[in-house]
Amino acid sequence: MMRRLDSLFGRSPFEPLVEHARKVHQCVEMVRPIADAVLASDGEKCRQLQHEMSKTEYEADLLKDKVREALPHRYFLPVDREDIANFLRQMDRIADDAEDFAVASTLRTLRVPQELHADFLALVDKVVQVSEALLNVAEHLGQLQKEAFAGPEAQEVTQKIRQVCFMEWESDKLSRKLARHYYGLDSIDPITLIILEKLSRALSGIADHAENVGKNLRLMIIRK
Amino acid sequence: MTVFLLIFAVAAGFYMAWNIGANDCANAMGTVVGSGSVSLRKAIILAAIFEFAGAFLVGSSVADTIKGNIVPVESFASIQLFSLGMLAALLAASLWLNVATAMGQPVSTTHAIIGAVVGFAVLANGPGCVRWSQMGGIAASWVISPVVGALLAYLAYACVRRFVLNSRHPVFMARRAVPVAAGLVIFIMTMSVVFRGLPKLRLDMSLPQALLTSAAVAFVAGGAIWLNVRANRRHVLLKHRYAVIESWFGRLQLVTACYMAFAHGANDVANAIGPLAGAIEGLHKGTLTAKAPIPPWLLALGGLGIVMGLATYGYKVIESIGKRITEITPTRGFSAELGTATTVLVCSKLGLPISTTFVIVGAVMGVGMARGFAALDLRVIRKIFASWLVTIPISAVLSAILFQLLRVIAGR
Repeated sequence: MMRRLDSLFGRSPFEPLVEHARKVHQCVEMVRPIADAVLASDGEKCRQLQHEMSKTEYEADLLKDKVREALPHRYFLPVDREDIANFLRQMDRIADDAEDFAVASTLRTLRVPQELHADFLALVDKVVQVSEALLNVAEHLGQLQKEAFAGPEAQEVTQKIRQVCFMEWESDKLSRKLARHYYGLDSIDPITLIILEKLSRALSGIADHAENVGKNLRLMIIRK
Repeated sequence: MTVFLLIFAVAAGFYMAWNIGANDCANAMGTVVGSGSVSLRKAIILAAIFEFAGAFLVGSSVADTIKGNIVPVESFASIQLFSLGMLAALLAASLWLNVATAMGQPVSTTHAIIGAVVGFAVLANGPGCVRWSQMGGIAASWVISPVVGALLAYLAYACVRRFVLNSRHPVFMARRAVPVAAGLVIFIMTMSVVFRGLPKLRLDMSLPQALLTSAAVAFVAGGAIWLNVRANRRHVLLKHRYAVIESWFGRLQLVTACYMAFAHGANDVANAIGPLAGAIEGLHKGTLTAKAPIPPWLLALGGLGIVMGLATYGYKVIESIGKRITEITPTRGFSAELGTATTVLVCSKLGLPISTTFVIVGAVMGVGMARGFAALDLRVIRKIFASWLVTIPISAVLSAILFQLLRVIAGR
């Protein structure tokens, strides 16, 4: 009869969750080359990179579906199914925002004023950092589950989540600095401004949703 | 004719015990072999020792229930008819066990034998003869015991999380946990043996005596284990901390695996020996005293049958389980086994024949509720219920058929 007992254990949803997180970070990593291409006014490069980005975002969507398949209602999980669903949703939005960034970069070949370059790149780098920190946290999911979401591992992860939130705050500051900068310019092409606004919003979106993912993970650890 | 039937009955009882050993023993040792805490060979030897000990020292209460408390012998036209019925029940249950196992279906030895006993009795004397209040109690215990197992396993794992995993020095606490938990297990096992134990072996102590003896044994054993733990401690790097905790609980899991084997022997030997005792008394003495204690040699025979089943076939199942169930790491295995074995042993003392498998599933759920597992497939519960619904009627009908056959053969 014990032979049947192995059918008692379902597939863990945590491994596919980490795979999805890795793919999402892949999307975010592409943001920097796209930003460089935008600032260099290289429209062709932007379109190329946008293609790749869309492909990667699609792969992330497939992985997202895989996670959902590993979450049938008959499974009894150590965390609330809602928490996992929210975690996944926010992760998905990171990938979506990264794709939005890529698409916005192809709307028009921009000529970004030189003074804005430093601030823009600072924001991009900070946002990519936030995503890296988040991936680092997500990688711990498997180990967390093994240690029943308790103990020093959980505490380390909670610390790291706090760091992610802090870095998101820093990225907010940078995005405001950039905005004040380009709104403060005496003369800037209005269409460039609109597109800069889109790009900036996409970047803030990435950081915001990354923070939300971290908060969801914290909920998973704390709840129950 | 009577002699022939007697021999046949003993063979049938032994065969049933063999089936129990072949099918169910893996429950106890599977996970501890799988996690690598002990070699297959040692596991078989330990399982054999503890199954036998449990059967011999604690098995009489449940055997009494199956022998005389479900179907009173008075309702039968003759004692010999009662004995034939018990023999039929043994054969029917064994047969169904073999068939179901060959088909790969889950089956509970307890459900099979009780279904069979009720089956022949109803055929012989109609439904009125069965002690339905007793049956009701037994059926209730089939539902309650997994819940209790779940609760105890939940508590055990919650304690592991709170006092070991979540503590400031998890490895230190894990080392501490080993003698404490082992002492607890030994206390419970000793209590089950000496409190109202076998009178013939002078193991029938009163409550205060039993408590004192058990506490003393547990203390000494716990102390010895504590010394062994201290001698084996090593400084641990932070990154290895989780693996080291699991390895300490691996040793503890060995203790609980033996505990499980003990409890299983205590509860399941009755599935073979209860009916056999009834059959033998009826055929041999011509009378059946409902309160006559099961003779120790019969319990020993049952224990031996279980061990033989384990040694000739059960070890294969142990091997195959361990390889497949990797989710049950030592901390979880320990909690589930502690919950299961305690529930099964207490039920055995109370004379309640329960299905150890149901309790195990309950215990695993309990650990799952304490966040022990990544995902538990609740559909399995449905499958297990289905097996319960199927086993009881089938073995009842089979038993009734065989009973008729035996009556024809024996000319009654």
